[in-house]
Amino acid sequence: MRKLLLLLSFMTWSLSAAPSLDYQVQNLQGELVSLTEFKGKVVYLDFWASWCGPCRKSFPWMNAMHQKYQQQGLAIVAINLDEDKVLAEKFLTKLPADFHIRLDPEADVASKFDLQGMPSSYIFNRQGELVQTHLGFFEEKSAGYENEIVELLKE
Amino acid sequence: MQLKNRSNISKALAIASCSLLGHSAQASANTEKPDDWKVDAAIMYYGEEDRVQAVEAIGNVQKAFGDESLLDMKLVVDSLTGASASGAVAQSETQTFTRPSGNGQYETASGETPLDDTFHDTRVQASANWAETLSPVWKTNVGVNGSKEFDYFSLGLNGGVERSFNKDNTTLALSGAYTFDAIDPVGGRPVAFSSMALRADYDTEEEYRAAFDMTRMAGSEDKKTMDMMLSVTQVLSRRWLFQANYGLSSVSGYMTDPYKILSQVDDTGTTQSYLYENRPDSRLKHSFYMMTKGALDAGVIDFSYRYTTDDWDLNSHTLETHYRYYFSGRFYGQVHLRYYQQQAANFYRPFLMAGDPLPEYASADYRIGDMTTYTLGLKFGQRLSGGHEMSYRLEYYQQNPENSGFDLVGQLQDHDLFPEVKAIIAQVSYSF
Amino acid sequence: MSRTIISIAIAVSLSACSSLGVEPWEKDQLARADMALDSEKLDLALDDHIYFSKEGSSGGRSLAGGGCGCN
Repeated sequence: MRKLLLLLSFMTWSLSAAPSLDYQVQNLQGELVSLTEFKGKVVYLDFWASWCGPCRKSFPWMNAMHQKYQQQGLAIVAINLDEDKVLAEKFLTKLPADFHIRLDPEADVASKFDLQGMPSSYIFNRQGELVQTHLGFFEEKSAGYENEIVELLKE
Repeated sequence: MQLKNRSNISKALAIASCSLLGHSAQASANTEKPDDWKVDAAIMYYGEEDRVQAVEAIGNVQKAFGDESLLDMKLVVDSLTGASASGAVAQSETQTFTRPSGNGQYETASGETPLDDTFHDTRVQASANWAETLSPVWKTNVGVNGSKEFDYFSLGLNGGVERSFNKDNTTLALSGAYTFDAIDPVGGRPVAFSSMALRADYDTEEEYRAAFDMTRMAGSEDKKTMDMMLSVTQVLSRRWLFQANYGLSSVSGYMTDPYKILSQVDDTGTTQSYLYENRPDSRLKHSFYMMTKGALDAGVIDFSYRYTTDDWDLNSHTLETHYRYYFSGRFYGQVHLRYYQQQAANFYRPFLMAGDPLPEYASADYRIGDMTTYTLGLKFGQRLSGGHEMSYRLEYYQQNPENSGFDLVGQLQDHDLFPEVKAIIAQVSYSF
Repeated sequence: MSRTIISIAIAVSLSACSSLGVEPWEKDQLARADMALDSEKLDLALDDHIYFSKEGSSGGRSLAGGGCGCN
């Protein structure tokens, strides 16, 4: 009985790896880089894909946020989950991004974050702690998202 | 799939906003930026060989309000002309029938299936539906629809809720509708099983009129329908999804077709009189539907099966498939096949025997008799610039009514009482 | 002991049910416009209308809606 409980708790513990910045992703040149390079800033991590409709809407907004708050220490990092890099590049030619683009084609990091849907965004404070998670992108809620960022930038 | 998915129930975030059931997945790679408006229009021609012809035009407009609300509006106009089988049987003699209004009559040549060509009707139908995303896992919709034609009026309300589970891999939907129909037949609704008054049987117009009026009842009739559907949609794999629906429908009110009759024949199969049909005033129907749809590299394929059963003992099986193939990124061809088989309603009979007592209900409408139908269709679609799409569809639809076990007496054996009905469907659609 | 077995059995079967499906980032094919269940909705509506008028049964795919005097 006790062995069973130990086994179950071990399984759940090892599999529920929490979202954090301690992961490596690819940059557009295909090199492995760590997300820890953004520590010290307020990080808005967004998982997107070329085929995702709401992602199309979120890009202009993320560009606007980058424009407004980059100086104050906001780092927007959009992690692409397309299996084929070409699809991401096509998307970016139509919707260019001023913010950071990273790639996670095998969805390793996405699995560790245990994404519940697309797109998903994770906001980390300057200490690198996860403070907010958003599922989907809704125009109506974007003002609310912005407020969260502003609050964290004040710290 | 690993157990890890279970561990985050406590976080209570359970969906993808790229939802399963249709609305927001506008991920076509050709659109420059997402558009709030989506318009679909189509015009269709339906033509049966020697019988009914119809033209139908549909316009559908969808407007998104933000990312959580969607308004869907539809307008349909259709126009019907031509003749349809009245239910009377073919005879070796010429037959004369009185028109539903009582004004005038029409003849059927010997050996021909009696067809009533009185109907030239235009119908207008409008509907509006509002869909709302309430939360990451709940969606709801509500709608209203109405239609009007010369002798018919319909008004309905519908609503539904959807709940998604397991990262939007599973969606459960429950919907219901209530519809009220009012029928005001041309000439007034006929008295059930009354005998058709024929001008030739009377000396004067007044006597004929009096007899005709005896077969009529004043006022309109109505019919109320309550529908409910439970639906489960499940993602099977990266490319395949599946849906299963259970539907329950309860109809009460006037379901008799006021324009259909039955021939009452003697032992030699010769018609003695024509009686107006009579159907039950309630019907409880069940439907079971399953479908699967697959995303192929250069196309799409779907298969579906539906079984229906009701308390009229009309059971049916439907098998259907669509296979689309993309010849290029912009041009596709699609094949449509449908097989339908139905078992006659328990009160269906192709004719009545003059000597026998009248049953409680009877109808000779081949559309509720034993029947097998086949559809073969071909569609071509072209994606134009700016996300516009144009398509053309041509289908062949054949209905094969069958004798569900009635003995054909006398001269009835010399005629085809269950003729095939062949129809062509042609349609052009445009969406942007 | 039996209670443990039952609770494990339930957990395993629930997770088996929940394991049917794909991860959110694997929905590229299903997100295609032609994979939506209501793609070609006009065709389906026109078809439903034809078969509702010419056959004895209706519905199944969606609520049998819209009355008309043709049946």
